[in-house]
Amino acid sequence: MNGILSVSTVLNTASAGLIVLGLYIVFTQKNLIKMVIGLDLADTGVNVLLVSTGYIKGNTAPIFSKAGLQVSQMVDPVPQALVLTSIVIGFGVSALALALIIRLYQKTGTLDTSKIRGLKW
Amino acid sequence: MVNPILLIIIPLGTAFLISTLASALKNTTKYLALLALLANVWISISLLPEVLQRPINVIIAGVKPPVGINLFVGPLGAVFSVIISIAGVLILLYSFKYIEGEQQHKYYTLFLLLITGSHGMILTGDVFNLFVFFEILAISSYILVGYAGDKNGFEAAVKYLILGSIGSIFILVAIALIYEGTGTLNMADLAGKFSTLDPARRLMILVFFITGMGVEAAVFPLNSWLPDAHSSAPSSISAVLSGFVIEIALVVIIKFVYTIFAMTEVLGFLAVAGVITLLVGEFAAFRQSNIKRVLAYSSIGQIGLILFAMSLNSKAGINAGMMQIINHTASKSILFLTAGYMIVKTGSYQFSDYRGIAKKMPVSSFFFVLGVLSLLGVPPFFGFFSKLNIIIAALHAGGAFYITMVFLVLLGTIIESIYFLKILQVFYARDTAILDVKEAPFLPLLSIALFSLVILLGFLFLPQITSYTGNIASELVTKLQMAQVF
Repeated sequence: MNGILSVSTVLNTASAGLIVLGLYIVFTQKNLIKMVIGLDLADTGVNVLLVSTGYIKGNTAPIFSKAGLQVSQMVDPVPQALVLTSIVIGFGVSALALALIIRLYQKTGTLDTSKIRGLKW
Repeated sequence: MVNPILLIIIPLGTAFLISTLASALKNTTKYLALLALLANVWISISLLPEVLQRPINVIIAGVKPPVGINLFVGPLGAVFSVIISIAGVLILLYSFKYIEGEQQHKYYTLFLLLITGSHGMILTGDVFNLFVFFEILAISSYILVGYAGDKNGFEAAVKYLILGSIGSIFILVAIALIYEGTGTLNMADLAGKFSTLDPARRLMILVFFITGMGVEAAVFPLNSWLPDAHSSAPSSISAVLSGFVIEIALVVIIKFVYTIFAMTEVLGFLAVAGVITLLVGEFAAFRQSNIKRVLAYSSIGQIGLILFAMSLNSKAGINAGMMQIINHTASKSILFLTAGYMIVKTGSYQFSDYRGIAKKMPVSSFFFVLGVLSLLGVPPFFGFFSKLNIIIAALHAGGAFYITMVFLVLLGTIIESIYFLKILQVFYARDTAILDVKEAPFLPLLSIALFSLVILLGFLFLPQITSYTGNIASELVTKLQMAQVF
């Protein structure tokens, strides 16, 4: 990319924005489903940050897809492996969260944390 | 040499075996779980003497660090593995009677996954691997908190999950920043390279990491999930969570601050956080009427005390903190496990309903008293020695600051003794309103009795125990880990 913005700046801003937005949703919303959406957004932000750490300007994906492709022409593959793991974990946690929320809804009939008064929130 | 990786593989493999064979084995899956954990106890104990000679470094899949993932078993890892496996096996023994029903294989699967995550977090030598094991531990504990299937259980599980996920987001941000700055994820490699980063970034990583782990370690003000989760979970799981899960997160923080980040200047701040956590926990416990909430808040207090001891930046402090961890694991497990059957038998969580219960459940009440005495630090129980060591270490640190801290710690202990004596007074009241309550079954009592052997006879083995904990202290303070990996 040319001009004022470099790719790293865009990625870092996007990830910081997503994380802050996600955490803001988690802390301000009272609906449990919305809180899970907030967590997902923040998770995505972290994933963007992770991928951006391996970015090297002008380099391509770390796959030997074409003959003559050198390692020095590729971006760092480690963060991409990390982010795959992180996506899977994030997916698992969201699925578990939604499953628990469904069961909680069956018991209480509400998704509003201020109305679930069993314990202190 | 037994390969330490078995400590992780055996419970993980057995967990999947149990869930596959569940329909064939019905309710005998628990014996499989017991076998796996007994193997873990044997492995971890047989590793101990070897590790004291020389830390063990396990290379996984033949790729050498810093590129590959390694396990590093130093004194800290070895001693913690012993604590995890012994506490795990005893609590599993308790669960045999306590957890009933057709679906019990799910409980044992998750229990083994929790043990897997615990061993992994303490043994791994790779920062991202730490995160993966952290998630294994966290996800299985979210589900176990809601295992009972009642409203409070689900609510506590959801709350724990949301706060725990925020914690893991912070940890992952710290890991991303670490990798961006140093280009390595291996802990030993990192320890060498971390100091090359500029101070602002180092501080940023440290804050993200401590905030993330601090959620799991229940350091104030990140501990609002703990009283709900620990009190709504089945009592056996409360014992696991209070007994070693929060301590593992705490020890990981301490290990990172001492060896990997090597930023001992933040320890003063952590010591203050510890004392605040202690006071908040004890004051909150004082006002509770639900027995499990009392115990949960008391765990927050104890975590604060351990954090304080370990943040003294001296070998004596870490030594005392480790002893306090052993004491807390044993005595808090006793308290949660005895309270578990009192709740089952009386059907009430309010300890005011247990008036005169000592007449009906004499053995349980007796063990409860033992647990309380050791937690409070009454001689000759093990807790006396650990608390005494903490106070001595803090006074050695010297200065008006630490002397004030010691006063606050003692204040916390006084509050603790007031509310526990209040409970004991109810237990041993002369009149009783409880009619047909029977003593807990034999197997749970056996597991509780084995726990109480630790606090009763601990003082006989003080030299041995301090030789192990002393090695942990030198591992952390002199950064032993870093020299031996490559």
